[in-house]
Amino acid sequence: MNRVPAWLIGLIIPVGFAIAWEAAVVSGVTQGRLMPPPTRLVQTFIALARSGELQTHVLATMTRVLIGFGIGAAIGTILGLLTGASRPARLLLDPSIQGLRAIPSLAWVPLFILWLGIFETSKIALIAMGVFFPVYLGMLSAIQSVDRKLIEVGRVFGLTPIGIALRITWPAVMPVWIALLRSGLGLGFMFLVAAELMGASEGLGYLLVDGQQMGRADTILVAMIIFAVLGKTCDTCLVLAARPILRWQDTVRAQL
Amino acid sequence: MTRLSISSVGKTYADGTEALRDIRFNAAPGEIVALLGGSGCGKTTLLRLLAGLDQPTTGSITLDDSPLNGTSSAISAVFQEPRLLPWLNVADNIGFGGQRLPPATRAQRTGALLERIGLADYGARWPRELSGGQQQRVAIARALIGHPQILLLDEPFSALDPFTRTSLHGLLLDLWRELQPTVVMVTHDVEEAVVLADRILVMKPRPGRVHDMIQVDLPRPRDRLASATDLMKHRVLRAINRSLADVPSAGGGAPSGFSPWV
Repeated sequence: MNRVPAWLIGLIIPVGFAIAWEAAVVSGVTQGRLMPPPTRLVQTFIALARSGELQTHVLATMTRVLIGFGIGAAIGTILGLLTGASRPARLLLDPSIQGLRAIPSLAWVPLFILWLGIFETSKIALIAMGVFFPVYLGMLSAIQSVDRKLIEVGRVFGLTPIGIALRITWPAVMPVWIALLRSGLGLGFMFLVAAELMGASEGLGYLLVDGQQMGRADTILVAMIIFAVLGKTCDTCLVLAARPILRWQDTVRAQL
Repeated sequence: MTRLSISSVGKTYADGTEALRDIRFNAAPGEIVALLGGSGCGKTTLLRLLAGLDQPTTGSITLDDSPLNGTSSAISAVFQEPRLLPWLNVADNIGFGGQRLPPATRAQRTGALLERIGLADYGARWPRELSGGQQQRVAIARALIGHPQILLLDEPFSALDPFTRTSLHGLLLDLWRELQPTVVMVTHDVEEAVVLADRILVMKPRPGRVHDMIQVDLPRPRDRLASATDLMKHRVLRAINRSLADVPSAGGGAPSGFSPWV
């Protein structure tokens, strides 16, 4: 038991299920129309990739999610830093932002479509909004919980307020910021799917809708798996990019 | 050389708590003054005023007759906790204390200080990889890299074990002899005050006041075990007892004649 790599244990359930399902379909116990077996998913994947359809959808999806995430994360970070660091800015801006946050983000969809049209802009706006709120709220509280004692070190050694912001506050909130970006990216994918389900002519979300309308469970499942792979890949990229910045932290290795 | 003057300094917080009342003393250039007292006697408050982190409500603090307004490059501090910046390596943490130094000087002094504090090979390490005593050494080096005229110490050795504390006392005195800063240190450790200070101000609480001032006229280097040191400790303890007898201690406290610091 001790010689078995630990990660193998986690594979028992999914691999076992796949083999059992494949066997059930091959042996004729079930047809697998609504729940296609692994081999059919692979075939569907290859067919989609060969026709070039898959690349188009992935490209459309990634473009939307990355632009939306970039905009939402940037605005959330900047406003969070601003309201966290400045009391007047907090008093002015935070109540309005909290008010907007009370509206479920998806409730904006009709208005976004009226304002921005049914194409890319409204989708990106929705994703950006989904990413914005958690990043904003997290930054605001992270700034406020920076250790006052470290700020005092900066003051004693003659840092200007800007110096303190850049050399103490910013590095101190960095770990929280990275964590917020990671959860923001996850939310970005969630709102992306919502946006694409509500009407798109390309993108993995479109593939989901298309599969449903055509009764192709295999297409749906392939799109779902690709979502999972893309999401995990983006998250890993973020973690790897952040690694050199967070080297000083004890916990960074445990997070990956 | 800078003369530090504290004239009738009082501090009352916004909630009405009077933390300090009519503190007055001078520190001669290169002198080590210890503020000795229990908790609640405003030692740390006073040190924060000297560091420029807070403003006194009344009175004034002057450096060579110019009033202190906020923090000053002439004043540096070591805190109770090392307070190293966890995202900077050890060398950069030391260099952080020398904000105004030209980079070449800063690098050269960092190297020399790393050597002096016995951490020559630790420059590239992260603070979390160091022991508490090592971290406090780095904090001392950070405070001294800019060659401050006034060095403030806020119970910097109180969290350390006696072995580490004794060796840090030695390190501090060595660096003090070399750089000759005026030192104002806060402590609740009688032995520490007697071994390090030229003068001890015994404080008493609620509000924080100076109760007694004791000149420590022992030759340096001082021997912790010498009978003269012991006599001086007794003198300080008697002053503490007198300060306790004067103050109605909060919540019953210690019976008179017994000092909780012993």
